[in-house]
Amino acid sequence: MTTPAVHSCHHCGISFRWDPVETDPAEGDRLEFCCRGCLGAFRLICSAGLGKFYQRDVRSMPTVTPDSSGQFNDEELVRHVTPDGEFCRLDILVGGISCPSCIWLLERMISRIDGVADVSISYAGGIASVVFDPARSAPSEIFATISSLGFSPRPFSPALSDLEVRRERNDLLLRFGTALFLTMQLMAYSYSLYAGYFQGMGSGIKSVLQYASCIVATPVVFYCGWPFLEGAWQSLRSRRPGMDLLIAVGALTAWIYSTWALFSLQETYYESAAMIVTFVLLGRLLELSVRRTAMSGIESLYAAVVSRATLVEKSGHRDVPADDIRPGDLLLVRQGERFPVDCLVLDGETEIDQSLVTGESLPVLASPGSDVRAGCINVASPVTVQALRAVGHSYLMRVAALVRMAQAGKPSLQRLSDRIAGWFVPAVILLAILVCIGHYYVAGQGIGRALMVSLSVVLIACPCAMGLAVPAAVLAACSRSASLGIILRSGDVIERLAAVQCAFFDKTGTVTMGQPRVTGFSSAGCLSERDVLAAAASVEHQAAHPLARAIVGYAAEQGELPGGCMNFTITPGRGVSGQTEGGHQVLCGSRSFLEGRGVSLAGSREVGALQDTEVLVAIDGCLAGCFLLSDQIRPGSSSLVATLVSKGIELRLVSGDAQPVVDRIAFTIGIAAALGDMTPDQKLALVHDAQNRGRRVLMVGDGVNDAPALAAAYVSCSLTGSSDIALENADVIIAGDDVTRLATAYRISRSTMIVIRQNLAWAFLYNIVGIPLAVSGYLTPVYAAIAMTASSLLVSLNSLRLMRISHHG
Amino acid sequence: MDESIILLIVLSLCLGAGCWLIFIWAVKKGEFDDVEKPKHRMLDDD
Repeated sequence: MTTPAVHSCHHCGISFRWDPVETDPAEGDRLEFCCRGCLGAFRLICSAGLGKFYQRDVRSMPTVTPDSSGQFNDEELVRHVTPDGEFCRLDILVGGISCPSCIWLLERMISRIDGVADVSISYAGGIASVVFDPARSAPSEIFATISSLGFSPRPFSPALSDLEVRRERNDLLLRFGTALFLTMQLMAYSYSLYAGYFQGMGSGIKSVLQYASCIVATPVVFYCGWPFLEGAWQSLRSRRPGMDLLIAVGALTAWIYSTWALFSLQETYYESAAMIVTFVLLGRLLELSVRRTAMSGIESLYAAVVSRATLVEKSGHRDVPADDIRPGDLLLVRQGERFPVDCLVLDGETEIDQSLVTGESLPVLASPGSDVRAGCINVASPVTVQALRAVGHSYLMRVAALVRMAQAGKPSLQRLSDRIAGWFVPAVILLAILVCIGHYYVAGQGIGRALMVSLSVVLIACPCAMGLAVPAAVLAACSRSASLGIILRSGDVIERLAAVQCAFFDKTGTVTMGQPRVTGFSSAGCLSERDVLAAAASVEHQAAHPLARAIVGYAAEQGELPGGCMNFTITPGRGVSGQTEGGHQVLCGSRSFLEGRGVSLAGSREVGALQDTEVLVAIDGCLAGCFLLSDQIRPGSSSLVATLVSKGIELRLVSGDAQPVVDRIAFTIGIAAALGDMTPDQKLALVHDAQNRGRRVLMVGDGVNDAPALAAAYVSCSLTGSSDIALENADVIIAGDDVTRLATAYRISRSTMIVIRQNLAWAFLYNIVGIPLAVSGYLTPVYAAIAMTASSLLVSLNSLRLMRISHHG
Repeated sequence: MDESIILLIVLSLCLGAGCWLIFIWAVKKGEFDDVEKPKHRMLDDD
């Protein structure tokens, strides 16, 4: 067997064994790329006249500084571009996102750029994932668009994300703290003024109090409320009315009116202006906490990403940022450190703790030639390793990206509320103007009173709750799922999973372990059981076959560790042979394999059970023993089946195995309908058939043969141990071996849909009751501000209930 | 009467400003960076 040649991608530098994508001969030198995306990125760089990027020592490239205020050039940004199918993907951390309307606006504007195929912004991290055609648009154009809207874009890397969130939070905290302090002072003056209004007050004292109010209220509106004013200005400039505009209009109207009233000796309403700002800031602060809590699931993955690494060079060791590691670099990982990237051990032997990556709690041995994934901890001694991938491409980051994409996806309900928010804001401002005119001209009230009423309308109508209803619930659900080991590919999976009516389960690797275990062992009598076990283990230890692993594992359980083995040969699909240290010739394999080597099988009895596999052992040409192996049912399969059946979901077991085997397994775990001898096409047809009958199908499978059915099903689910193609097609991915997590995922999705409906119902109810009250003038601006904040809080807290869903029960 | 009110207003502003400065100092010092950890800290051994 020949191994395909190893190629190295000219753009991203990864090593790969498949056929490379090549540049046209017309373009000059023939260059190899791992995929079309990398080729696209290469062309983008060259077309921008930046071909020298490939000659430069990438480590000496300037890092993008956060203070370059939107001035990014393609040369710097290209490092952060990753290929995605035929297009390129760029992750951008967007600073300054304060509400769902900002996300709505950003997505709208970015998707208008020529060449942008898809954009989705995660509410949790404020991270925009932009998929674009490198031939038509440049990263700098996307960055320029974002900064022209008043947001600050940064190329995304985990360390920066943490800093950004902390900076935003501290800024908000300072503004809120200041607002709270000043508003408290202001309330003292205001209550005195209220008392004076009813009981009479000397005009001198009244002026003193009003001037004092003006002094404390002004910084609240113009310093604490600056984020709203800025946001309002941006939304006016881009003609996209957002939430900030509504708040800014409310606060400014109250402040301008009061200042006019101050000089014309009338009643002032500075406290309204200040309280709007203070309450909305409180809401934002809590919203940020929800986002932080919801992000914790992803953060636990990011936390394992190391920010610095020790680079080994000819001249000695150098401390570098992990972002700068290129595939092929040599790194030193000391005892107790985490591996910064996926890498290959070159020198040294150690034990590594993989618990974060695989869930395996015991440390495993790593020696030269071992692959180690980023995030593992070096437990024993220092090793020198070679980086295989850059930080952004490590296994860990791929999983993190999956979770993040899931959070950015929105159920169709979300799109509905986005659309509503889009026309809601202009409608409210129009209504406020009409109300003002109505109260002034038609009802003949004073201009001050009319302005106050329209102010209440603006405040009560802030669609905060409506905008929060869906994302808050989806975020909480995704985050809770992630921490329970359930990865949801996108937000709408929640909606689909909740609506599932029937479920098809693949057998091997899904309801069964997919790995054989030794269920019986007998010695033929001429040698002791222990001797046969030791001999079989020594030979099978050399083979990577699942059956061989099962036998070695069984021998180890019995206390027989494999010894040395010489002259090892493997006959694929049949058996193995070798010589033990004691000089015995050992054969392990099927009946026909042993017979073919002249071993007499007289006296061994045939085993009948269909699900069992037989491995015979012969030592020095004489039958010595026999192993029986079978695939074990996954613990938890029965309880998963029981749970789903109790929810009224129709279940079927489908498998490529023989009908009697499938029947037996189905009976054991409690599934009534079982179909055996199914080809991938038949599985697909079965799914199509059910869906044509209007059933919403959940397909659970792990193998290559399940992939078409997984792709076709309404929702699909795989376990982490599955084949790559199954994982790619799965909407729900269950980490680890515990299938009962699928039942938990189902429960979470049902609860989430309930919470979303409650949230939307509340938001609409609030507006239906609140707006008429405000229009009629019964609601003063202060109460309107309180009601608006309370409504947002209620929606956020209601969503947080999802975080309390436990795995069991 | 007016003078005493002005005096009291200024005094309360000064008192409040004192607390406000302490608050700003605490934010800058990173006192609010992680509000989750401290409550678990007493359960740690060291």
